[in-house]
Amino acid sequence: MPSIIACFKWVVDEAYIRRGPSGDLDFSSVDYKISEYDRNAIEEAVRSKEALGGKAIAITVGVPQATKSLKDALSRGCDQAYFVADASFNNLESSQTAFILAEVISTRIEQYDLIICGEGSSDLYAQQVGPRLAEKLCIPCISFVQKFSIDKNQIVAERRVEEGVEVIAAPLPALVTVLPDINVPRIPGVKDTLMAGKKPTVTITKDELPPVGETLLLTVGLAASRMERSCEMFGTDAQEIARFVGSLRKRGVVG
Amino acid sequence: MDFKFTEEQELIRKNVREFCEKNVDPIAAEIDENSRHPAELFKKLSEGGWMGIPIPQQYGGAGADYLTNIVVVEELARSCSSTGFTVSIHVGIACMLILLFGTEEQKKKFLTPMAEGKHLGAFVLTEPGAGTDVMAATTTAVLDGNDYIINGTKTFTSNGPTAGTYLLFAWTDKAAGRKGMSTFIVPKEAPGMRVGEHFKKMGLRSSQTSEMIFKDCRVPKENLLGKEGMGLQMAMTGFDHGRTGIAAQCVGILQAALDESIRYSKERVQFGTAIARHQAISWMIADMATDLSAARFLTYHAAWLKDQKLPFSKEAAMAKLYASEAAMRHTIKAVQIHGGYGYCKGAKVERLMRDAKITEIYEGTSEAQRMVISGIVLR
Repeated sequence: MPSIIACFKWVVDEAYIRRGPSGDLDFSSVDYKISEYDRNAIEEAVRSKEALGGKAIAITVGVPQATKSLKDALSRGCDQAYFVADASFNNLESSQTAFILAEVISTRIEQYDLIICGEGSSDLYAQQVGPRLAEKLCIPCISFVQKFSIDKNQIVAERRVEEGVEVIAAPLPALVTVLPDINVPRIPGVKDTLMAGKKPTVTITKDELPPVGETLLLTVGLAASRMERSCEMFGTDAQEIARFVGSLRKRGVVG
Repeated sequence: MDFKFTEEQELIRKNVREFCEKNVDPIAAEIDENSRHPAELFKKLSEGGWMGIPIPQQYGGAGADYLTNIVVVEELARSCSSTGFTVSIHVGIACMLILLFGTEEQKKKFLTPMAEGKHLGAFVLTEPGAGTDVMAATTTAVLDGNDYIINGTKTFTSNGPTAGTYLLFAWTDKAAGRKGMSTFIVPKEAPGMRVGEHFKKMGLRSSQTSEMIFKDCRVPKENLLGKEGMGLQMAMTGFDHGRTGIAAQCVGILQAALDESIRYSKERVQFGTAIARHQAISWMIADMATDLSAARFLTYHAAWLKDQKLPFSKEAAMAKLYASEAAMRHTIKAVQIHGGYGYCKGAKVERLMRDAKITEIYEGTSEAQRMVISGIVLR
């Protein structure tokens, strides 16, 4: 009976973001929610558990206020939850989040068969944490998964790729990142919500972890994208195409 | 003083909101137009445990508090007033009265399937000649061996055509006055009870309302709720709970009126600017938001008192009075903000305005609420 881990992120509910007087974003009255695709990850973990037995474990990394997310995740059918909390975990980079998750999963969770992540988070959609986590744990990673089944000691997953659907098998334990098409997350009933508080949770603080490591990314600036038009016209014959390539080279667009 | 909801209450509100966006909003206009009872929707509500929130789990409910039920009614009514009301009367009056006054046997037999949402409950009190003046009722129940024989005609019974269990009020001893009325649990199959005329209403159209006719209707003696003579007291207790529910329904209507008015007034441009920037409109919205908050806090306070097991008759009447009159006042304003578009079918505010009116009338008119409130404060 498999033990399945669903990773999720507690993000700003975009419905509450208002436009400030000067066009800036006003986050002063926002509420938070489980990131959309992570809800699919949790749902799939719970459905797999319901079909195969075993257990579904939810795990999140975030600021202490994100403790509210645990009942939400547990009300969706997970059996227990791990919460790695610190006030400094507000703007973690994907590499740091993956490091923390890998540390907790490898040292605190005895055994697992499958890790499910959403394809990307609702706020940043960097699509980094899942593959990085798999790499740290040295387990196979299958991304863009729209359907999967667990068969003995392997997972068979359908990946949606540009040209069609790729079917891939990997030995367990493995990690999948799932697309929203994989399921429609349930709306927890009243009893599910009331029961959630009775399920076990483990809170882990930053002090209990090895140093998380420095941030690697540097924001140089933010600017709206801009389109430049040089109003040059080109034909379709060989000579014109050569002239087009020459023009791109001259501007340094291609090497 | 703590104005915070519990994490569970917050989650339940979010979940019911999501439920409404997926399941109620898409059908609300249609069920209003066709006066249709959406059985499929109530099946889903039952599956989520929304039909018996404050009823203990041993009797098929969710075992949450009354405030949580109020939050759910509010959110349902924000999408569809009829749906919020149907849940309110089912849980707040029918289920609550059996919970509060029923025997263990009655709770198992009648309350459990109701709280599980297997069938709806109805509160059968009003008669053609007895509205606010409950004492003018003429329906009687006479003991005959092991059965009571009920005769009379009731009217304006909400859930009349759709319920499975009816709480009927009838005289067992007219001469005893206020202590002469009793309450009976009447199952749908009871011989001699039938659903009379279905009413076509101005608003609240998907809630089913009818006459209920009792002609030598036989009900076993075990179906007497509480003791003989407790009927009026039970009706008043039912009203305390029910009125808090109606207040929540009004809060939902007000929130919807505000949502629609904000959205439309920001989009609609006249004289070169969004109408929300015209003071005439923005002040209407300010008043609407203020009354919404006032109504909401009165309502939550009444429900909180109930959960603390404190008296809440006055607060329930105040919440119902204030919220219903605010709902009527501001749905009219919401239509005004929408102009001609708001007067046409398809605009949500048109439905809200029709739905609001009944809240000033049923479960005690505004005038009856003032009688209750003044009766308590002038004691």
